[in-house]
Amino acid sequence: MSRIEVDRDRCVGSGTCEALAPDVFEVDDDGVLVVHREEPGEEELDDVRDAVQACPTRALALAD
Amino acid sequence: MTATAAPVPDAIDLSDRDFWLEPPEVRHAVFDRLRAEDPFAFFAEPEVPGMPVGPGYHAVTRHADLDAISSQPQVFCSGKGAVSIQDIPADLNEFYGSMISMDDPRHARIRRIVSKTFTPRMLERVVDSVRGIVEDVLVEARRTAEAQGGRLDVVADIAAPIPLRVICDMMGVPAEDRAAVLAASNVILSGGDPELIADQEEPLTALFEAGIALAGIMERLAAERLERPTDDLTTALVTTEVDGERLTHQEIASFFILLLVAGNETTRNAISHGLQALQEHPEQRARWAVDPSIDKTAVEEVVRWVSPITWMRRTATRDGELHGHRFSAGDKFLLFYAAANRDPAVFADPHVFDLTRDPNPHVGFGGHGPHFCLGAHLARRELAVTFRAVFDLLPDLEVTGPPDRLRSSFVNGLKRLPARLTGVR
Repeated sequence: MSRIEVDRDRCVGSGTCEALAPDVFEVDDDGVLVVHREEPGEEELDDVRDAVQACPTRALALAD
Repeated sequence: MTATAAPVPDAIDLSDRDFWLEPPEVRHAVFDRLRAEDPFAFFAEPEVPGMPVGPGYHAVTRHADLDAISSQPQVFCSGKGAVSIQDIPADLNEFYGSMISMDDPRHARIRRIVSKTFTPRMLERVVDSVRGIVEDVLVEARRTAEAQGGRLDVVADIAAPIPLRVICDMMGVPAEDRAAVLAASNVILSGGDPELIADQEEPLTALFEAGIALAGIMERLAAERLERPTDDLTTALVTTEVDGERLTHQEIASFFILLLVAGNETTRNAISHGLQALQEHPEQRARWAVDPSIDKTAVEEVVRWVSPITWMRRTATRDGELHGHRFSAGDKFLLFYAAANRDPAVFADPHVFDLTRDPNPHVGFGGHGPHFCLGAHLARRELAVTFRAVFDLLPDLEVTGPPDRLRSSFVNGLKRLPARLTGVR
């Protein structure tokens, strides 16, 4: 099972991940990233990988 | 296929203001040579009356170096100044000491006040209003051209009003203040261009006055929003608490000015240079006009090609080494996005304008790191909507040129770009 890790010192809430995997990521009203499912389902993994790759501050990682 | 074949000046000096009036092919020929031969080239600082002349700076032109510096903000900070080669005098900090020239954790806390507004999900809601603004502006541009025998100015009639109206609406700035916002914004990012800074001996006075003008609009709006909050960005700035405290007057003023100016000048120049690039590459234009499925890659290529902001500054916080280059605490680095975006180590045929380029890891919105462009998603939307609307509403637009370039190293700006509508008789 892969697990999403967020480096809170790096995240600036750009919402790039949210655009690519909107069911998994959401930037809340305070500009803080909320991860709805820290262990995304198999069918979401491709989108989550794209989101990790696209993060402009390299704040996301996918750990096995 | 096109290639840069412009002559490289014998003595390269990026601090020579007149260099920035040269056409893109000359600029890129110089960047190509620096990147290949002297990727941390050192230059003395340009002299600006009223500002202390600092020790000089290194011009970073390789993509890998630029991204490495951007992504290590503890080693290469923004807090000494990011948008000026010289350290900014304290009295100008009132207006220009925004989060772009701050380091974390303060930068992150302040950025979060507005970050939600600029996420793709929230911007979905403003897409319709962006489309409405773009259509209004283009209909008006056609009217202007019809009254002038078909002639129009891409900058004044298309590229400037679109982002100006979008950002003013998001901030809650009323229509009657737009002209003042545009004028002040032009002065702030003039780079000292003599057309915009009349008194060349006192450039800081003009900057100071532009700051006062925008802060005046902010103060009036802020008072209104404190009394009657709305859902605009100005309300967020004046009502949100950071660490249990409201922002100070200085923080609100500089933030307000940052959003207005950054929201204005960057997208404007992406539109005007982008339309010129499409004129110069008719096969690319024809392809994009009939194929909205390439909107996404096309917009990224326009941003790479134009690189609306030429550089940002970082300052070393300690001694160290980067990719074999030794540096000392206090060394200034200018990250030349425009150069990194043509780095052949990253981009195949970097001087080819290819609207289907993919992948396109350009740094037109900045490299990886905390200062990545807040408005990137907004800019992408504005650009996609604008170019599509130009294809639909101004299919007979012909850029005739030549452009009047802004004499600025910082903003890749056009002041005027003559065009005509061939359908107007």
